[in-house]
Amino acid sequence: MLRSLTIGLLLMPLIVLSAAHAHGPTRQKVTESVEINAPADKVWAAIGNFQDLNWHPVIEKTEGEGGNEPGAKRTLTLTDGANIFEELLKYDAEGRLMKYIITKVDVKVLPVNNYSSILRVEDLGDGKSKVVWRGAFYRGYMNNDPPEDLNDAAAVKAVKGVYRGGLDELKKKLEAAG
Amino acid sequence: MAIASARSSLEWAVVASATAFIFAVFTVLVPVVASAGRAPNEALVTSQLAEKVVFVDLATLKVSAELSVPGKPAGIALSPDRRRAYVTAPEAKELVVIDAEQRTVLKRLKIGNGPLGVAVHPVDGRIFVADWYDHRLAVVDPRSFEVIAHVPVGESPSGVAVTPDGTRVLSADRDSHQVSVIDAATLRVIKVVPVGQRPFGVTIDAAGTRAYTANVKSDDVSVIDIELGKTIATVKVGRRPYAIALAQGRAFITDQYVETVSVIDLDDLEVIKTISVGAYPEGIAADKSGRYVYVACWEDNTLERIDAHLLTVTGRVEVPDGPRAFGDFLR
Repeated sequence: MLRSLTIGLLLMPLIVLSAAHAHGPTRQKVTESVEINAPADKVWAAIGNFQDLNWHPVIEKTEGEGGNEPGAKRTLTLTDGANIFEELLKYDAEGRLMKYIITKVDVKVLPVNNYSSILRVEDLGDGKSKVVWRGAFYRGYMNNDPPEDLNDAAAVKAVKGVYRGGLDELKKKLEAAG
Repeated sequence: MAIASARSSLEWAVVASATAFIFAVFTVLVPVVASAGRAPNEALVTSQLAEKVVFVDLATLKVSAELSVPGKPAGIALSPDRRRAYVTAPEAKELVVIDAEQRTVLKRLKIGNGPLGVAVHPVDGRIFVADWYDHRLAVVDPRSFEVIAHVPVGESPSGVAVTPDGTRVLSADRDSHQVSVIDAATLRVIKVVPVGQRPFGVTIDAAGTRAYTANVKSDDVSVIDIELGKTIATVKVGRRPYAIALAQGRAFITDQYVETVSVIDLDDLEVIKTISVGAYPEGIAADKSGRYVYVACWEDNTLERIDAHLLTVTGRVEVPDGPRAFGDFLR
């Protein structure tokens, strides 16, 4: 899905950027969230293991070491076979929060650089919760004058796509099970 | 006993009359000082994604004004009289000159391909702008606002600092893992100091003897003896250190990835505390008194105040999207 998303962007009508507007990269942010009709502890139980991102529809396999300790590593294998390598920086079971970075990814798979992310579950009470997924990253092309598939908009769109895809599927799964 | 008490009351009388005298002097002097430009005690925060420079009153920790600055503003420095702010706008490839008192943009001028860090000469006011893509510093005249010279340095210079006596300019050359030491008079690089991996922010102490770099990739701080031109110590800090402020004999370092400020004792060169702050802490600076350190948290959109004695966050204010405040942003 990630790769097809990128290819989809390539096929999009070209966004015309005049040379005067070409510029160096600025760090981008994305925040996506979903409210789920399930208690926060149950939602965290489903997504709170750093060694298991298989709840996300494009993740085929999660392999890693170090459990949920800061410094833990994981290798994600996507459904199309591509890999993303990640490292856990911070883990707070009580606060239902984890923070991690991508240590290595091909920009053809996900068009970003220096990507960090926070995944958190908030308790909304009444057996409801909210999952918030935040990312901070640079675009895929780190120099001036990026090609369209590696510019800021492409990076934001790709990350949003990943978050939405995961959060919407999670909601469906947990609410159906509940 | 009686003598002692008589003496102490005499002393008190002396103190009281001295106080009255000082008060009288101040009553005369204050209007003069005020007309010369009273320090407003405020922060100028570059909110990069919102494309604004935000004025925060530090007494009340409230936003007092917002100035639109298109071009994704990032770096900032102030003129020696603290009346002007120089802001880099990397997307516009410009240096933006701001009248900090009138809160207006005075001028925008083109600087190469990637203006980022900026610093001001404390005596003659020249502005040194690091150009990330052209691997040099642009030197700008503070009266004509023209680029008067270029100083080639290492790859992708980011942070810039000038010694308090104005003799040396230092640039953190991120992708060369080095600091270039430049003679401010001849504008020649006189020393190249190897530091940790990917230095970003560079800060010089008040004595002008030591400099500190935050090394983004090796997660440490290099301590440089400027005269020797050597790294004399390396101190491990949190993940992805970005910039450094100095106060109370301590260095305060923003650790971007782990939402902390690491505090180093500058005598022992050891981390004595890590303070939790907002997400993606970036620009950090100490106020004149050294009592408070202010830090811009890019992801959480806050400016946070750290008490440099207590080493805790004692206040925060929400600011527009993407605050970076990379440089000297307090006046």
